[in-house]
Amino acid sequence: MATAEFEPKILAFCCNWCSYAGADLAGVSRMQYPPNVRIIRVMCSGRVSPELVVKALRSGADGVVVLGCHIGDCHYISGNHRTKKRMAILRGLLSYMGVDPRRVRLEWVSASEGDRFAQVVTEVTREIKELGPNRLFTDQGQEKR
Amino acid sequence: MADIDIEQKLRQEARGLLEQGKVDRILGYEAGSLKFTTTPLVTADKDDTERLVVNPFVVNNLSAFLTGMEGKTGIVAKGCDSRSIVSLMQDRKVARENLVILGIPCPGLIDVRKVEVLLGKERDELEDISREGDKVTVTAAGKKTELPLAKVLFDNCLACDMPTPEEYDVLLGEPQSPVADPAASRAGIEELEAMSPEQRWEFWKGEFSRCTRCYACRNACPACFCQRCFVEETDPQWVLPVPRWQDNLIFQLIRTIHVAGRCTDCGNCERACPAHIPLRSLSKKMYDMVDELFHYRAGMDRNPEPLLTAYEASEAED
Repeated sequence: MATAEFEPKILAFCCNWCSYAGADLAGVSRMQYPPNVRIIRVMCSGRVSPELVVKALRSGADGVVVLGCHIGDCHYISGNHRTKKRMAILRGLLSYMGVDPRRVRLEWVSASEGDRFAQVVTEVTREIKELGPNRLFTDQGQEKR
Repeated sequence: MADIDIEQKLRQEARGLLEQGKVDRILGYEAGSLKFTTTPLVTADKDDTERLVVNPFVVNNLSAFLTGMEGKTGIVAKGCDSRSIVSLMQDRKVARENLVILGIPCPGLIDVRKVEVLLGKERDELEDISREGDKVTVTAAGKKTELPLAKVLFDNCLACDMPTPEEYDVLLGEPQSPVADPAASRAGIEELEAMSPEQRWEFWKGEFSRCTRCYACRNACPACFCQRCFVEETDPQWVLPVPRWQDNLIFQLIRTIHVAGRCTDCGNCERACPAHIPLRSLSKKMYDMVDELFHYRAGMDRNPEPLLTAYEASEAED
């Protein structure tokens, strides 16, 4: 059997008010982007705790993107400010543990930025393909849970 | 003022507080069951105050007991402990009016393991360890050896910002200046940072393979005050209870993030670890990162909002 190219699984947490609508716009505008991304809608990027991100990596995701409203545009005023701080610390510590911080990204996509959503997903997919499968999951001998 | 004088003063103060009914209990240290150890003493009995001690081994951060305590508590606090108390006040976990803080200036705590290594002797062979100024005198087999204080302090004490409490009701003894050696206190972290990601991964694999998930780190930590910890949640189950090292690592990773902006680098987690996992390497890394990114050091000032809650509308996007 020929070895197929590594197709990463990427999890995207999109906030309900901006990024999810942005993803929707990308869809209805028929923009092309890699099918590697799986979207989970959350009410706010501030809902995405570090537990969620790490759980995703542990459960088999090769990369995680958290998408929220631009700073200043949060539907709940300050949700994305908090995400920003948390993600910075999470990425720093993951890197300190030997996990490439590029696997965890934070991006701001507004409801009108369908093109930007497609661009972010394309970029992330390319990057994760270069990085290969994620260690937090694979190091256990590919056990499936 | 020598430790013994501070100890006398502390006993008097503590007795007075209990006699006058100003506090319901005293939270301090008494001698441990092993040499060169202390154990927390919680008492409402004024005669028990005679058991209170002050020495270079008062390692516990007693503020970890404050969350959930009712009534008024008289607490013995070193500089780092007072910072933890301030941090708890910011999070509205303790009310200032329910505390009487008995501040003890702390020139740094002595790590007996470092003494053991320097002298090539076991703990049981050491007869006495006393600190005076920046010298430590160790007596073993009737022979006295003088060591510089900076060589035998815990790593976190070498990075101490606040040896003398700034939040207190009574200060016992004169203010101390820190034995600062930031380079030595970060040595382990810089070593790790210089490694490749693969080497770091292997390093943590080795360390966290020893973790038995006893949660001593969490229980000893004053900043870990959640009533229900995320590791105990079962739906969703963030961390599997199986003994895999990655789950151990994830537990500690998330715990470290949860205490970001609250951790005062007191080093209690690392000292509590029975497997001697260098937990402070993670928490100090986080502490420095928080300082660098947000210019925030926990427990220095009781007025600002907690780090992860506060925000500026004018913040930039990245």
